[in-house]
Amino acid sequence: MSVLQIRTEHITKDYPGTRAIDDVSICFDSGRVHALVGKNGSGKSTLVKIFAGAVEPTSGEFFLNDENLHFNSTSDAYEKGIVSVYQEMSLVPGLSVAENIFLGRLPKKNQAIDWRKTHQMADSLLQQMKVNIDPREQVSRLSMWQMQVVEITKALSFNPKVIMLDEPTSALAQNEVRNLFSAIRALKDQGVIVIYITHKLQELPQIADTVSVLRDGKLVGAVQMNEVQQKDIIGMMFGEVKIQNRPTDIKVRDELIMEVRNFSRHGWYQDVNFKLKCGEVLGIAGMLGSGRTELLRGIFGADPVDSGEVIVEGKTYTSANPIKMVKAGLGLTPENRKIQGLILIHSIKDNLCYASMNITADGWLENKRKRNVFAERQVRDLDIKVSNINAPCESLSGGNQQKVVVGNWLNTSPKIMLYDEPSRGIDVGAKQQIFEIMWAEARKGISTIFVSTELEELLEVCHRILIMRHGRIVDEIIPDETNVNELYEICMRGD
Amino acid sequence: MENVAAPALTFNRRKIKIFLLDHIIEVCLIVLIIGLTFGANGFMTWANWMNILRANSLKGVIAFGMTMVIIAGLIDLSIGSIVGLAGVIVAVVCRDLTGMGIDINVACIIGILICLVQAVTTGWLHGFFQHKTGMPPFIVTLVTLNLFLGLAGRLSGGFPIANQFPGWFNQLGGGRIGGPNGIPIPAIVLVVSFFIVWFIMEYTTTGRAAYAVGGNPESARLSGIDVGKTKIIAFVIVQILAVISGFMTAGQVMSGTFSFGKGWELDVIAAVVVGGTSFNGGAGKVSGTFVGVIFMGVIGNGMTLLNIDIHTQYIIKAVIVFLAVLLSSYRARLKA
Repeated sequence: MSVLQIRTEHITKDYPGTRAIDDVSICFDSGRVHALVGKNGSGKSTLVKIFAGAVEPTSGEFFLNDENLHFNSTSDAYEKGIVSVYQEMSLVPGLSVAENIFLGRLPKKNQAIDWRKTHQMADSLLQQMKVNIDPREQVSRLSMWQMQVVEITKALSFNPKVIMLDEPTSALAQNEVRNLFSAIRALKDQGVIVIYITHKLQELPQIADTVSVLRDGKLVGAVQMNEVQQKDIIGMMFGEVKIQNRPTDIKVRDELIMEVRNFSRHGWYQDVNFKLKCGEVLGIAGMLGSGRTELLRGIFGADPVDSGEVIVEGKTYTSANPIKMVKAGLGLTPENRKIQGLILIHSIKDNLCYASMNITADGWLENKRKRNVFAERQVRDLDIKVSNINAPCESLSGGNQQKVVVGNWLNTSPKIMLYDEPSRGIDVGAKQQIFEIMWAEARKGISTIFVSTELEELLEVCHRILIMRHGRIVDEIIPDETNVNELYEICMRGD
Repeated sequence: MENVAAPALTFNRRKIKIFLLDHIIEVCLIVLIIGLTFGANGFMTWANWMNILRANSLKGVIAFGMTMVIIAGLIDLSIGSIVGLAGVIVAVVCRDLTGMGIDINVACIIGILICLVQAVTTGWLHGFFQHKTGMPPFIVTLVTLNLFLGLAGRLSGGFPIANQFPGWFNQLGGGRIGGPNGIPIPAIVLVVSFFIVWFIMEYTTTGRAAYAVGGNPESARLSGIDVGKTKIIAFVIVQILAVISGFMTAGQVMSGTFSFGKGWELDVIAAVVVGGTSFNGGAGKVSGTFVGVIFMGVIGNGMTLLNIDIHTQYIIKAVIVFLAVLLSSYRARLKA
């Protein structure tokens, strides 16, 4: 098997006012997994888009083996065998797995679709990925990770030379990540160049052979994975690093703010009981599908609950809805900020004041002055980077959007904040700022429940961590007494 | 420095372009008015302008409510049938109650009250069913479009019920303030209803909730906004305005006829869309709809003054609505 090579020579990409890629010369060869890392805005997605034919470089050239590549469109890149799997799912929910994989090129026999062959071909690809998914299953019935696998299987069906994976594990649980990694290893053994983009540095030792770091559009390092440590990579990404540890001055008070009793929703979580104290930061850990997101939504009243009750400051809620729970002093930053947390076409100012609408208004009359004051306050306190608070929310970066979601709630002066995956898809700097906000609020006596897939984050941020497995709370740990490996192990035990 | 100045300049040109596109209907309206002033005899006269207002107020009143409904991410197709039904109800009540010896003014007021109760009920039912069952608002109100058209037909026996109203009711639609060339009463109703809906959308929490619900119902719900209540209020407001329009229509021709208002929903929606409100919900302005109503009115009036036949008028209107929507999608793309 000959070695393939994709390389760039002095590639530069200018956008009005900024230089996204600055004189990058880099080379990726086949049979290895090449991690591409960098914080948001470092230029890694621009580089990937150049390979994928979505963006044309301003200057410089790139080659596949010795062929100089010029792409006018993404289909040109596909023809050369360069395929990408993006973070955003591109599957059609109403169609079957097999139809999605072969969309637009279903095998035919006598002008009619050959379904038997379609399903056979899909099945063999799925087996290559070492997953047990029925090719006849409708995609909308799959879980998140299965969809991600189908997405990658679809890319694989093009017999690619180069496959680019953009944050493929962002929605996957640990055991699913392992399945995915074994599939990726199978890919590289077939002589494919795998370019792997990720925020999760802890994954790199398991999957990457080389790691290339971009910062401000420049290539700051391309090294063999076995020669570097995680903190070296962070050093390259950020220049200088400040790894925050939980401040010691946040004291949990003795009074109880909330109690959850015998909380159940059939098929999602059963018989959940826990207590939350004033000023406490409580983490909930668990694999994807353990019911942690659903539990949080249930407490907030966003979904119906079968039985059980939530007691907030002595008041019992049995059939809650968000309207009641907001009045009770709860706030929820949902898992998917774009779809559930924000109104993207509306201004930053409006998005900061929706939850506090009844507070900023005088009765049923709007008070625009007060609304401005509230919005400005959050922009200042949370350090939201905006040029104009009347600009639409969609113009903000992921980290700043997340801060708007948080600010929307802080404007209601909540007593309990529920955070569902607040750090997903945002860079390390913004992540630290979100944690600092949590701590600052905890100092004021506000209680926090924090759900995250990133166990390191939970250990860093929380006073206490509940472990959920298959919809039940199975354990409770104190971060100071454990480490990540132990926590992983507890979460996965019995799987 | 030069590589900083260049992008800044293109940005400004883009801004000017967006500003012009944002106000494209106003610009077109001014051009149209100037053109017609010189091109069409009798266009720029007091009497003609009062005629434009009188003729377009009936649909215009409903258009403001429709703007709120569309901003909230909904649609109400039933308003045309409601216009006819309201006239029929008042006419039937006046006829039957005076037949029983009740004073005609009292009878008429009873008829009006029945219509208002019916408007609130219908709006509430629209909102309730749409929100609870998740049925598309297009379907929910298509059902009531047919239902109320049929009910109005049954109630009236399929014929106009003429000459049943007291004089003041006829004045609602046909009257003018300040003599025969004065300001038509429907025009005053138009302006008043504009200010009410405009105030609701700009200055009340309900208005802001409507924008939020249309922008993203799930985010609105998770922010603690009462989505169901907001939808119901929007549906009730457009129904009340449709009933008021029905009173004016019936008064103008002094008869209650079940087929009055048939097909109006499309004209009303056209005025809203021409006024720049997004069909996707969450964005739009009531003031834009006011311009849209005047715009459609001026075009219709101008074409009539220029002796363009009715069939050609339809074609020209179609092209204009198409261009308006085309420009607003271009604007949306430019902004993104």
